[in-house]
Amino acid sequence: MSFAIETRDLGYRAGKTFELRDLNLRVPRGAIYGYLGPNGSGKTTTIRLLLGLLRPGAGAITVLGHAIPAEVPRALARTGYVPERPHLYPSLTVEESLRYHAAFFPGWDQRWADELLSRFGLARTVLLSRLSKGETGKLLLLQALAQSPELLVLDEPTDGLDPVVRREVLTALLDYVAQRDATVFISSHLVHELERICDWVGVMDRGRLVAEMPMQSFKNGIKRLRVRGAPALLGDTPFVVLARHFVEGQAETWIVRGWQAPMTQYFEGIGARVQEVIDLDLEEGFVELLSTARTAPRGEG
Amino acid sequence: MFRAILFTQWKWARLPLLLGIVAAFGLPLVVVQPLPSLFAEDAGASLAIEFMASFGPMFPLLATLLGLILAVSAWAADHAGHHVYALSLPLPRWQLVLYRLGSGLTLLALPLLALWFGALLATSIIDLPAGVRAYPSLLGLRFALATLVAFALFFSISAGTTRTAGVVLGTIVGMLLAQWALALVDSDVNLLGTLFDVLFVWPGPLDIFSGRWMLIDV
Repeated sequence: MSFAIETRDLGYRAGKTFELRDLNLRVPRGAIYGYLGPNGSGKTTTIRLLLGLLRPGAGAITVLGHAIPAEVPRALARTGYVPERPHLYPSLTVEESLRYHAAFFPGWDQRWADELLSRFGLARTVLLSRLSKGETGKLLLLQALAQSPELLVLDEPTDGLDPVVRREVLTALLDYVAQRDATVFISSHLVHELERICDWVGVMDRGRLVAEMPMQSFKNGIKRLRVRGAPALLGDTPFVVLARHFVEGQAETWIVRGWQAPMTQYFEGIGARVQEVIDLDLEEGFVELLSTARTAPRGEG
Repeated sequence: MFRAILFTQWKWARLPLLLGIVAAFGLPLVVVQPLPSLFAEDAGASLAIEFMASFGPMFPLLATLLGLILAVSAWAADHAGHHVYALSLPLPRWQLVLYRLGSGLTLLALPLLALWFGALLATSIIDLPAGVRAYPSLLGLRFALATLVAFALFFSISAGTTRTAGVVLGTIVGMLLAQWALALVDSDVNLLGTLFDVLFVWPGPLDIFSGRWMLIDV
């Protein structure tokens, strides 16, 4: 498998309170990779490191085969970026902003830019400072898409947008990916949104990558089990026990990762019984994963 | 790319730049207005030269303002966006700085030419008495050099981080405070005077701003 983005033991320290450490990301080419994490977990910092906006303190970064930060311009020429906060020049009109942006990207697709302009209902003569939040979000995505990138890096692109605009933005994104077979790296704390569109997921918490796997494994592999009669101490398990909750007089609740149906036999072996296996949606799995990562000693996860 | 950057800088600086062009063109015309009546008097030539000398500081002041406005406007929009947009464009940082510098210099050419044309026009409409000469091209050249020095200075400060600007400002404030403290203890040390000499007296880097700025002289 080849990777559009790869980091090895990436480290970065910002002040005394935040540190990104030992980050090993692998974003497969052609994937829509959801980068999940609570606010302040290091998602935006990671993205800024990937794009050469920040210099790493340790480790190595490769984006589309280019070493970062040494070959940043070559990587950026093939990458569309939508930042967390609008970064365009507010004193330009929509038309001027598009012309300015197009000047830097040889692969600029003016026809598609025009099509997206009309699809998004953006007026060419309006100043960027007069655009609503939703219109700004659409323009940012339009600019990123019209440069025909092989990789799209989107930092909370739909944060604060209303559901209608969010749908328009995500539809345009998925259309692009379907047509061009591009890789998308999208960060968000809106778990449900990513669940619908992503095929890979990475979960960040407090500057650490606590999980990275195909979305299907994430959704299928994390279960809530109701268990009776299990001993307090467990030996080796065929799955990962993320959490055990005891409630006096009731069945225990286990949160497990890597679950498969035949594993119920394991419980027979330890004299226990599985009463119920409950699928967790991505948000529940995400929350359980984070709470487990936070209770685990540093270095695990 | 250069045209795109030039356009944005024109858009950001166009109002003060247009005012600067008008001021640069008009200043030589304004300063020569009283000259015909002064030349009509007995000691007209020396009065006229004194009058010119009193207006002289307006030229380096205008050059400084133009350099400052163009330099600050080159980076203001990027500072506001924490440079995220500029740095996410696919070109090396040094190239972006060069484009911005080149755009600023291109725009500065307009007021520089305006002052030169204004000076040529101003000196062509008055009759000079014997022994008095006009120096429109020399004044235009000196104005151009002073504007470029001001632009380069403010551009380098403005292109830097807030910390750089803070260090420069802190140094100036520190010098003022130190001079004030020395004055309190009746010290003869003149820090500001020494600094002025270092900067503004040849071979100081800002020597171009000092001395007499004369459109008409002997």
